[in-house]
Amino acid sequence: MSDVTATATSDRGFFDEAKYSGIFGWIFSTDHKRIGLLYFWCIVAFFCIGVVLGLLIRLELFAPGETIMGPQAYNAAFTLHGVIMIFLFIIPGIPAAFGNLIMPIQIGARDVAFPKLNLFSWYLYITGAIMAVTSLFTGGGPPDTGWTFYVPFSAQTSTNVSLAAMAVFFLGFSSILTGLNFVTTVHRLRTTGMTWMRIPLFTWSLYATAWIQILATPVIGITVALLFAERVIGAGLFDPTQGGDPIMFQHLFWIYSHPAVYIMVLPGMGVVSDIIPVFARKPAFGYKAIVVSSLAIAFAGSLVWAHHMYTSGMSDMAVLIFSFLTFIVAIPSAIKVFNWLATLYQGSILLDPPLLYALSFILLFTIGGLTGLVLGAAATDIHVHDTYFVVGHFHFVMFGGTGMAFFAAMHYWLPKIYGRMYDKTVATVAWGVIFIGFCILYITMMVVGMQGMPRRYWDYLPEFTGLNQLATVGSWILAIGLILMFVNVFRGIFKGDPAGANPWGGASLEWQISSPPTMENFGEEDPVVTHGPYDFKKAGIL
Amino acid sequence: MNPQPLITTTEAVDKAFYVIFGISGIAFLGITVATVYLCWRYNRKRQPLPISQKDHNIWLEVTWTVIPSLLVMVMFWYGWEGYLSLRRIPDNAVPVTASARMWSWLFTYENGKTSDKLYVPVGQPVKVLIVAEDVLHSFYVPAFRVKRDCVPGMKNYAWFVADQPGSYDLFCAEYCGVGHSKMITTVEAIPAPEFAAWLNAKPLVTDIGKELLQKHGCLGCHSLDGSRMVGPSFQGIGGRQVVVTSNGEQRTLTTDNDYLRKAIVEPGADIVEGYPPAMPAYAGRIPEEDLTGIIDYLMGLNAEGTKVETKQEHEAAEPAGKAEPAEKTEETKPAEPKAAVSDPVSRGEELAGKNACLGCHSTDGSRRVGPSLKGLMGSERTVVKDGKTLKVQADASYLIRAIREPAAEVAEGYPAAMPPYPGLSDDDIKALQAWLETLK
Repeated sequence: MSDVTATATSDRGFFDEAKYSGIFGWIFSTDHKRIGLLYFWCIVAFFCIGVVLGLLIRLELFAPGETIMGPQAYNAAFTLHGVIMIFLFIIPGIPAAFGNLIMPIQIGARDVAFPKLNLFSWYLYITGAIMAVTSLFTGGGPPDTGWTFYVPFSAQTSTNVSLAAMAVFFLGFSSILTGLNFVTTVHRLRTTGMTWMRIPLFTWSLYATAWIQILATPVIGITVALLFAERVIGAGLFDPTQGGDPIMFQHLFWIYSHPAVYIMVLPGMGVVSDIIPVFARKPAFGYKAIVVSSLAIAFAGSLVWAHHMYTSGMSDMAVLIFSFLTFIVAIPSAIKVFNWLATLYQGSILLDPPLLYALSFILLFTIGGLTGLVLGAAATDIHVHDTYFVVGHFHFVMFGGTGMAFFAAMHYWLPKIYGRMYDKTVATVAWGVIFIGFCILYITMMVVGMQGMPRRYWDYLPEFTGLNQLATVGSWILAIGLILMFVNVFRGIFKGDPAGANPWGGASLEWQISSPPTMENFGEEDPVVTHGPYDFKKAGIL
Repeated sequence: MNPQPLITTTEAVDKAFYVIFGISGIAFLGITVATVYLCWRYNRKRQPLPISQKDHNIWLEVTWTVIPSLLVMVMFWYGWEGYLSLRRIPDNAVPVTASARMWSWLFTYENGKTSDKLYVPVGQPVKVLIVAEDVLHSFYVPAFRVKRDCVPGMKNYAWFVADQPGSYDLFCAEYCGVGHSKMITTVEAIPAPEFAAWLNAKPLVTDIGKELLQKHGCLGCHSLDGSRMVGPSFQGIGGRQVVVTSNGEQRTLTTDNDYLRKAIVEPGADIVEGYPPAMPAYAGRIPEEDLTGIIDYLMGLNAEGTKVETKQEHEAAEPAGKAEPAEKTEETKPAEPKAAVSDPVSRGEELAGKNACLGCHSTDGSRRVGPSLKGLMGSERTVVKDGKTLKVQADASYLIRAIREPAAEVAEGYPAAMPPYPGLSDDDIKALQAWLETLK
């Protein structure tokens, strides 16, 4: 891709180049790779906490009635599971961790545009995370509203919703600043020859995501601030007895939280779009279509928020419009899937772990997307809204989509960052176990939802017992797969064999420098880009 | 009746399900088979080098943009069509009001009768007016594919028709707190003649205490048979020892009238050991008569099992009114000459006090659960009727409607919380009107 000569002063690259020693070398560093790793480890830690909560929820649902916890504890458990997974894992997951680690390198930059702001964003993230955790043990106990914080319940409950809402406020700021940083970086710091149409699709997806982060996230800040005002000073904006309107809260909440779904999934699509060409030895099919569909999703995805509210009592005209727009958003997602498959066609496919995770993204995300059509259509949504069908659906999109893409990114890029390779056989076995457990868990949820079991139920009618037990068994299989995968990857990156600069045969810039990269990624001279990110012939791979 | 045969909500929605699942199933199968085939056919073992480096094909890309676009429009249309069927209420629908509160349902029928299960006649459409008293809930009957949120301050509706007799699950589908998963009841579809008989039957006298408990949603969280629900059971509650936490301090006390009263109007003050502080306060939400009726009934549960003295029930049942209209007119008749001779204004005032109007409506213009009575008569009121906002004149006929059928027109910005008072005679309402005229 370019004439880069890796000037490795040490084979541990940037790990040996810190201004300060020990922990301060990390928490005071403005290097994008160090900040990326700070995010990565925090995000993985919160993901594990979220998984444990999810397993406890499933365990409680193993039988009707009280199994391991009472209703109040259960309500707190699913609220926390949602808040942690959404705000501390999925939203920052790929952009903040892998975006920071990889994006500047992909465009030939030495860092992001505002390195200090980048570090500040991480501090905001950690502050928000600490507040969220503190809300569990202080005030009236852990919040029990669900991650959606719907009023009037959230305005009335005596649990510690105020602090949790403030945590979301801080996390939102972190997300906005990261978005701002990335947009500026992509505009200003591309190296010589890195034209817009030579930007790797992962960076393109981050660019589209960053715009949603900047434009939509302020709304969640406003929403939780208003909720805070409602609780603390009784502002009455959402209280019908004071002339307020609870439905307005739902609109405000989803004006952010639906685009947030695309903040969560677009970077995952970017990861997949980067991985498939490398393992098929073929350029990404329809590069421009994938770029345009990313931007189209970012735009149209901002106009569909009220499809979460068909049953709320808003007007039928609103249902008509939002249902129509929702189906429009399905089209760019479908285009991406076809493009990925066409990339595989006539290629030379190596089923290594990153590709397996990327392929499971395609299949699981397709199921998530197609079941989304059931929810987008007005009539069918009425039946399945707020049932386990929705729970199954969004786990397919969020976990089957973004989660799998996060794992794919881990298997794809961590050898670059740490310079060491994990055991591929174990990674493949773990992938299989995760895939099986995942399908048992979430397909079962969708079936029980079709039968009418509402979500957020601590207890359920005896007729739902069999399927709930099956889902719980699925959660155990999934958990075993996750443990296997994490242990293998983390063992690999610390103790594995050296990975080499380009273990997968990638043609984009990050594979042209040493593993781990050096402090400023490139040597004395900035790289000069002469071909596209998937031109394997010119890169000398073929 | 509709000229065309009635399509049930289930049939209307299921059509959309079949279309969407059908198209989606084929699409998913195609994508899965393609992925597996491509990974097998072009595996590096079989295909050491890629055959082509082609990265675009404009016609292919146009095709796979246009075809999905057409397909999603088909799915959109079926979805919308089915939705319209859910919104178009047949003309002959039987109206029922579904009132949701933490954590039980109350259904009120045209004649003021109430129940905690939704009784409907088979084969006849039912229009459900959906209201909430406290937080969001959602009225969901999976068998009929209907769901509609219960929103405080808002009146939603849904309709369905049960074409087979039976018992269908009815869930609360919008998360509403600790008792959410217990907010389950059933739709009981019974043949039309049986339904008519049930609707017009007077409740048994011994059931009135229990009806009060249902009416105020107590039984959503407290059992009568000793089983543990969200809150402690009512079985043997009168005179038993309970351990409570008050202001962080534990103490043991014996339940009596005062304790029960406090536990209802101010439940946060003493929390029974082992139970969550989840009960909403009933202060201002329960008429005094109902409150004493409930307390007497609960104290009686200890002494005599499920039997209660009838004297107390008569008083208790009064505000609900449905059982007593005949009796009540008789009662008031002897008093009438006196009342008519004396001042209708003071009689109106007396009625207002007796029927607990002043628990929810102020006379000084201040806001309480319901709108103030000050300056009510003759003013222009904004009300919500069948989901539409309109302005009405507060005249004599408005007053009758507002008292007899308060849920039909609800003052804008207020919860649809007022129970109907069919027990008040026309003369009673005239007296109330005379008194209201004085509140300028």
